[in-house]
Amino acid sequence: MPRPTRLPFGLAAAMAATAAALLAGPASAAAFKCPHVGGDFVFGQEANVNSLDQPASSTISTRNVAMNIFETLLTRDENNNTITDLADSYTESPDRMTYTFKLRQGVKFHNGKPLTTADVVASFDRYNKIGLERSMFNNVASWDAPDASTFVIHMKKPQPTFIELLSSFSVPVVIVPAEDRDDPPMQLKTIGTGPWQLVDFVPGSHVKLKRYDGYAPNTKYEQRTGFGGYKQACFDTVTFRIVTEPGARVAGLQTGELQGVEDLPTKSLPELKKDKNITVVPLPNWWIQIALPNTSAPPTNNLMFRKAVQAALDMDEIMDAATDGNYKLNVGFQYPNQPSYTDAGKETYNLKNPKLAKEYLAKANYKGEPLVLLTNKDYPSMYNAALVMAEQLKAVGIKAELKVVDWPTSVTTMQNTTTGWNFFFTGYGTQPALGALATMVFFAPPNANYKPAPGKDDPDLLAAFRDMNDQPDPKARQAAFARMQKIILDNVYAVPFGSLTKVQGVRANVGGYVPFRIPRMSNVWFKN
Amino acid sequence: MAGIALRRLLGALPVLLIVSLITFALLRLIPGDPSSVIGGPSATADQLAQIRRNLGLDEPLPMQLVHWYAGLLQGNLGRSLLMGQGVVEVTFERLPVTLGLSLYALVITLVAGLASGIVAALRQNTWVDQLAMMVAMLGISVPNFFLGLLGIIFFAVKLGWLPTGGYVPFSQDPWEWFRTTTMPAVSLAMLQMGLLARITRSTMLEVLRQDYIRTARAKGLPGRQVVVKHALANALIPITTVIGIIVSLLISGSVVTETLFSIPGMGQLLTQAVLNRDYPMVQGGLLLTTVFLVLVNIMVDICYAFLDPRVRYDGK
Repeated sequence: MPRPTRLPFGLAAAMAATAAALLAGPASAAAFKCPHVGGDFVFGQEANVNSLDQPASSTISTRNVAMNIFETLLTRDENNNTITDLADSYTESPDRMTYTFKLRQGVKFHNGKPLTTADVVASFDRYNKIGLERSMFNNVASWDAPDASTFVIHMKKPQPTFIELLSSFSVPVVIVPAEDRDDPPMQLKTIGTGPWQLVDFVPGSHVKLKRYDGYAPNTKYEQRTGFGGYKQACFDTVTFRIVTEPGARVAGLQTGELQGVEDLPTKSLPELKKDKNITVVPLPNWWIQIALPNTSAPPTNNLMFRKAVQAALDMDEIMDAATDGNYKLNVGFQYPNQPSYTDAGKETYNLKNPKLAKEYLAKANYKGEPLVLLTNKDYPSMYNAALVMAEQLKAVGIKAELKVVDWPTSVTTMQNTTTGWNFFFTGYGTQPALGALATMVFFAPPNANYKPAPGKDDPDLLAAFRDMNDQPDPKARQAAFARMQKIILDNVYAVPFGSLTKVQGVRANVGGYVPFRIPRMSNVWFKN
Repeated sequence: MAGIALRRLLGALPVLLIVSLITFALLRLIPGDPSSVIGGPSATADQLAQIRRNLGLDEPLPMQLVHWYAGLLQGNLGRSLLMGQGVVEVTFERLPVTLGLSLYALVITLVAGLASGIVAALRQNTWVDQLAMMVAMLGISVPNFFLGLLGIIFFAVKLGWLPTGGYVPFSQDPWEWFRTTTMPAVSLAMLQMGLLARITRSTMLEVLRQDYIRTARAKGLPGRQVVVKHALANALIPITTVIGIIVSLLISGSVVTETLFSIPGMGQLLTQAVLNRDYPMVQGGLLLTTVFLVLVNIMVDICYAFLDPRVRYDGK
């Protein structure tokens, strides 16, 4: 069981008043020990890995591999609470202007060099130059390292959510050797402190990792939890093999060439479930399937028209087609198992009411203008959702048209123009898993996802987002989130359809594999 | 002969310049950039902007073009935006994989295609001819990814003879290379094999009706000698042209096969680069591929001269 370093999500601010030192407690039960050591675990990954430079890439495929190699000062546990990882402890000053981190002792990089705060400073410096979430440092004045094990962050002004942002695994501030501080974006040398070190990386083919024998596990814990805890590498090597074709992933799992795979196609599940050599492991709430309106272009610039769209939709039909039946209906932007979940705005969800839709259309004075649904086939769930939505809208008299392009074109069109499209189809994956604040960033300026005219963001939405960031009391921040979600749904600034379940699979002789957002290769072993 | 090769090479320079300009322009005309790929669906606008800054995509287009040509003049094709590796380095890592696979597929194509074409011509309008042409039509008609999937189900899942995918370099383990490339090579070769068999059959039929074949037979030459020395030798000119095209098709056709079987070759690399808008990778990769195909064409031209004494390039 984890010991008391685990910080309940969002409670960092509450602890600030006492400037509580988050220190390790005494050891309790025996730490995890690999039941079996050895073997090569081959994992079939659906998406190509282009780079392992985590601060410069936010793709899931990069994270799948890199989260096993690199570590961070803080991370998230199994329930998304903030926990220490390379930090032994941290304190927040009563005025929230200083954060002091003490490093875990005995940690070494894969090149054998001991970790010191000089490496932490260099890693933060590099992230501040090229990191994709460097905006988290907007309120940071500076950082320094008074000694080899103490790292201090000085704030320009208090930011109650700073620790939440710093522990995010979306684009984490991974700690790398100081000498790599000037590595250009996408070219970071792959030397971390994690239980796995890089052997071989061929983009488009595979990434091979081997057990790092010099790994120093976090002895504050007895078990792996989330991306932290007590991690042990039980396999000799792990190979992430890129297998983009779903049929080939299924075949690989059936023959035993692959011992684990992600994203099994639904059609293969009945056969796989019958196979005693295979364990199918669903991962619910993988992402929120969503459509985002362009509120700057007609007819979606009209609230009554957007409400007509909202009223017409049958989410079961849309999600069934989008996910091949692997879904859950879900209101809003968090999942029921998350502490920040709220059903605020539920009265707007899954109305499937054509009569009401037609009433709204009359109020909108709709004259049959085309409604363009911008989607892509790179992500089949997005395409299928758009296809069904178009048919449902046609049934109430809306002239819905699909505009199918590839994913990069779709994103650029959505980002750069407010003409030629009305709804953009996407999925929110990592951000909802990180919590409410990370998700609501999509609706904040600049370039909010509902595409308001420049400087014309909804003032109520802005106020709620400010409160989510600035309110010192976690309860007040949660209330602000509920308010924000309701504003978004009431004004149809987004149409979340439901949550998609991703199905993974492992061979039956694999022990300790628990599906998570990122496949964790530590504390997983071959049973024989 | 060396002079001809040199003239052809110099003549290829404008081709390369045009290819590089067209590639640069076309890529920039396609909407979308690599930031959406590096960022993934969950990237915020802020993150996408930071990715563009990191990759230098916020520079004006003329500056990007100047940088590309400046690098080119120094023999530097740039770095892949997504992989961070040098374009030349990645290409020379991947090219041998595709060439190995294509060569294997070419051997299958030549052996099976030529043999079935010749046999079909010699046994015209018999069941042998019809069977050979049926297999050829099947190869032409069935998409190679479908053949590949059928191969995976039958030879990997049901029989367990071959792996479902992956790649082992020949230098590391020749037997495993053979196992991992056999199914991809066969599925890649099927289309070309069908084409070659049909071309060989029709060319052979035409040659076999010529007077000199009748004369050779009338002289009492053995059948094998007539077919190999007189008929096939004369049919080889059009067949060589087709083989030159087949080499190009095998390389471009490897795109689907490499993706299906997770083989890290040039086809997969360039497809991903186009889909991901990895500009330097596409520009550099296409330029190098063009150089390679130009070389293949020059070699085919040189082969003509060896195969047919009437073909001369020196104007005499």
